[in-house]
Amino acid sequence: MEMIEALRQDAAKLLADGRAKMVIGYQVRGEHRAPLFAAKADQAQALVYDDACRQNLAAYLRKTEVRRMMPVAVVAGPAVMRSLVLLQSEAQLSAGDVLVLAVGPAAYHGVLDLAGAAALLKEKYANQAPSAELLAEVKRVGAMTADERSAFWAGQFAKCTRCYACRAACPMCYCTRCIVEKNVPQWISTAAAAHGNYAWNIIRAFHLAGRCTLCGACEAACPQGIPLMLLNALLDAEVAEEVGERPGYDPEAKPVIGSWSPDDDNDFVR
Amino acid sequence: MTQAASQPVQASGTFEPRIVAFVCTWCTYAGADLAGTSRMTYAPNVRIVKLPCTGRIDPLFVLKAFEGGADAVLVSGCHPGDCHYTSGNFHARRRWALFHRLLAFTGIDERRLFFSWVSAAEGRKFADLINDITEKVREAGPFDASNPARRRPWK
Repeated sequence: MEMIEALRQDAAKLLADGRAKMVIGYQVRGEHRAPLFAAKADQAQALVYDDACRQNLAAYLRKTEVRRMMPVAVVAGPAVMRSLVLLQSEAQLSAGDVLVLAVGPAAYHGVLDLAGAAALLKEKYANQAPSAELLAEVKRVGAMTADERSAFWAGQFAKCTRCYACRAACPMCYCTRCIVEKNVPQWISTAAAAHGNYAWNIIRAFHLAGRCTLCGACEAACPQGIPLMLLNALLDAEVAEEVGERPGYDPEAKPVIGSWSPDDDNDFVR
Repeated sequence: MTQAASQPVQASGTFEPRIVAFVCTWCTYAGADLAGTSRMTYAPNVRIVKLPCTGRIDPLFVLKAFEGGADAVLVSGCHPGDCHYTSGNFHARRRWALFHRLLAFTGIDERRLFFSWVSAAEGRKFADLINDITEKVREAGPFDASNPARRRPWK
């Protein structure tokens, strides 16, 4: 509880001092946690942080309304901080744009700038792997035969209504025109048929290869309960094996897709 | 492709795989050309799509091929160090490493996903490669119409 008090006080102080024009955090709404946009110091009293906070608030930073309010302060756990570092490495954020109210599992680390957040991540939350349950589920699906896997995913993707809530929830999906909306030519079918759903879900996952921090916001946002984190966790493991490190720790790091090494995996080449 | 998609099984009853090969113009296409001008025979199951470089291959191309009825996809370009654009093949290799595992994880059999280096001098290698993967895909069978990656005809 002192942790939340300290968070509220710091947020209020940032707003009162004018170091941040807005604080983006979480507030209670029933069983859920809704985003809170505090522009005045007294609004910061509604801030909370707990396990129910599943949204990735870095996703708001691409919005022009929010960009106009920069510098903003963002309440960020480890996965969200990694998203911020990634956004900086992809030139979507400048060092002065964002302050971080750094929280962790049962910890509050105070107000940090982006460099401070990167240092904290390396020190306390280095190389964060997916949870054991998630890895076990990836292993279970991976152990199926190709036909079983195809049937499993056919069932999952059939539920997709193409609402793109997964895209809206993701801070890394910041293209102003997404490939799925380009229709000359139409690469990803919008027809009510399986192949468009398959292409969309695969391409969404692949465009996040080496950029996903496994925050879980896409799966939490999915109204149809599609296990998107299975795809993300698979690619996370493949990236970790291919490149040797996970993304979101080094603002100077090269993008995983878009760079290469002569020593890359060559086993599949015939 | 559309015409072929409507004829997955030939009149004789044997399954003839349709393989879409995305090749670069500088090495593998020239290698395929050499196989042709040297009068080598190889399985007629491959449809070649020539691109400037394997680095140009978007994962969407691969999805589109499977969508339209391909039984397998081959990506082939210059050997490491030989790329006309110095590093396009390295980019393609890293992308394929991740992408083909994602496809395999979501139900496209790894026996339908091939990646190779074939230089302009390797006509023999190209012919052997096509014969070899055609046999592999023949074993794997037709790409199942129940797979979500496949486009189904309107009913």
